[in-house]
Amino acid sequence: MSIREKVDEYKQVFDIFPNDQEKYQYLIEKAKENDSFPVELRQDNFKVNGCQSQVWLVPEEKDEKLYFNSDSDALISKGLVTLIASIYSNEKAEDIVSSEIDLMEEFELGVILSPARRNGAYSMLKTIKEYAKNLIS
Amino acid sequence: MNQFSNLKEDFPIFQRDINGKKLTYLDSGATSQKPDSVIEKMNQVYKFTNANVHRGTYVLSAETTQEYEDVRNKCKSFLNASESDEIIFTKGTTEALNFLANAIANKFMTKGDEIILSEIEHHANIIPWQMVAEKFGLKINYVKINKDFSLDLDDLKSKLSKKTKVVSIVGESNLSGMLPDIKEINDIVKNNSEALLIIDGAQLVPHRKVDVKELGIDFLVFSGHKMLGPTGIGVVWGKKDLLDSLDPVYGGGDMIEEVHYDRATWAPVPHKFEAGTPPYVEAIGLGAAIDYLENLGMTEVEKHSDELREYGRQTLLDIDGVNVIHSQQEIAGCTFGMYVDGVHASDLSLMLDTHGVAVRAGHHCVQPFHRKLGIDATIRSTAYIYNDKEDIDTLKSALVSSIEMLR
Repeated sequence: MSIREKVDEYKQVFDIFPNDQEKYQYLIEKAKENDSFPVELRQDNFKVNGCQSQVWLVPEEKDEKLYFNSDSDALISKGLVTLIASIYSNEKAEDIVSSEIDLMEEFELGVILSPARRNGAYSMLKTIKEYAKNLIS
Repeated sequence: MNQFSNLKEDFPIFQRDINGKKLTYLDSGATSQKPDSVIEKMNQVYKFTNANVHRGTYVLSAETTQEYEDVRNKCKSFLNASESDEIIFTKGTTEALNFLANAIANKFMTKGDEIILSEIEHHANIIPWQMVAEKFGLKINYVKINKDFSLDLDDLKSKLSKKTKVVSIVGESNLSGMLPDIKEINDIVKNNSEALLIIDGAQLVPHRKVDVKELGIDFLVFSGHKMLGPTGIGVVWGKKDLLDSLDPVYGGGDMIEEVHYDRATWAPVPHKFEAGTPPYVEAIGLGAAIDYLENLGMTEVEKHSDELREYGRQTLLDIDGVNVIHSQQEIAGCTFGMYVDGVHASDLSLMLDTHGVAVRAGHHCVQPFHRKLGIDATIRSTAYIYNDKEDIDTLKSALVSSIEMLR
């Protein structure tokens, strides 16, 4: 599935929820499902700056594709970073760099997430793109 | 029913729905909401009397100057100060403390002198002192807190010495609501040192009657925006002889007597400390806020705060899983810091927001206090005159359901 297709799928999911509470609940469930992050990877060099809570993103390259493992000490942030990591995982670095999808616009996360969190989500996305860029160069 | 029962009607913001729910605003410790009378007063100035103060010899300037100086007088009465010249307008508590730190250090402090703060100070009452300490080679000592979050006054006494030039202490804790005994602190400071005593009244002045003469302190600072007024206006009250002895920190228009190319002389207090165009519209807004509070009566405002605190104690102290940071002394502010083991404060405040409940999450500019307690972040509920018991009930039910969702 391409980045675009994955985004569209999540969009459909978000559209079902009538209010912020249910959207948060969905992110919380996503966070709870993500239990694969090793505690020893909670290192400063994997930390995403600009988030209200602590967020970690760890890249891994396999068969010319990038995968992202993620974690946060706050559940809603963790749900968000899990979702973003799943969109950009199993993708080629070139496709990640060239993707111009504005996730915040697509999911209207600017409405459900506070400005500080919006910055947090942007920081997560920026980190993913930087990892991809570094791999190409 | 009392005069506080329908107060929300005076505050246009409470007409708003948040996430389809009635707004339950419990973040007045960060900033208070504004009544129509304050908003309207500022509109009136901009619409009909606006002109720079202390400048023009024409009707508009004279009217605005009169209104601005009237607020100085209102502040004087509000605090029971001796004269209106003891009131200096600043842009807020932070600027007030930066001003005092610099003015006092410039005038009265030399290398090796000491400053006493407490372990629970807001960053605004720590950082300006750290900055002058660095510049002048001064030492900062911090008064310890007791297990019940009160200040250890024996520790204060033991830290005072000939070297102590300033003691600057919070008038009401912005996390626990703890109200230190300012009179006792003043006695201890004055009997054991020659230090000046500053009280950070940012959280205290909005909620309780403050009589600077009765307290005997040297300086009091506070912000307009936490007491129904606009942002961008704050106050330094200081004893007149002390203010006379301090030199200005900021130079510019309106603070001078005479200016030559090589020197200048200063205007008398308060003007020597108010360089440039002051935030006169904001000051006039603060005047309207003081009118609103005085119309309710500060004794009644105190009673309302005490009632909400008691109800908060009954309601919030026994919620399953919620740890509460709140003063254990009989009299305290209606401020409750809270944290839930295993639940992040930012998740909790986001979930509370979906119930229309606005509380602050984070370290509330008291990072060292959080570190001392061994916690990263808290949510904080601070109530004010427009809040009622129903708001506390809403907070409780929203907390219970949010925690259930987050665990």
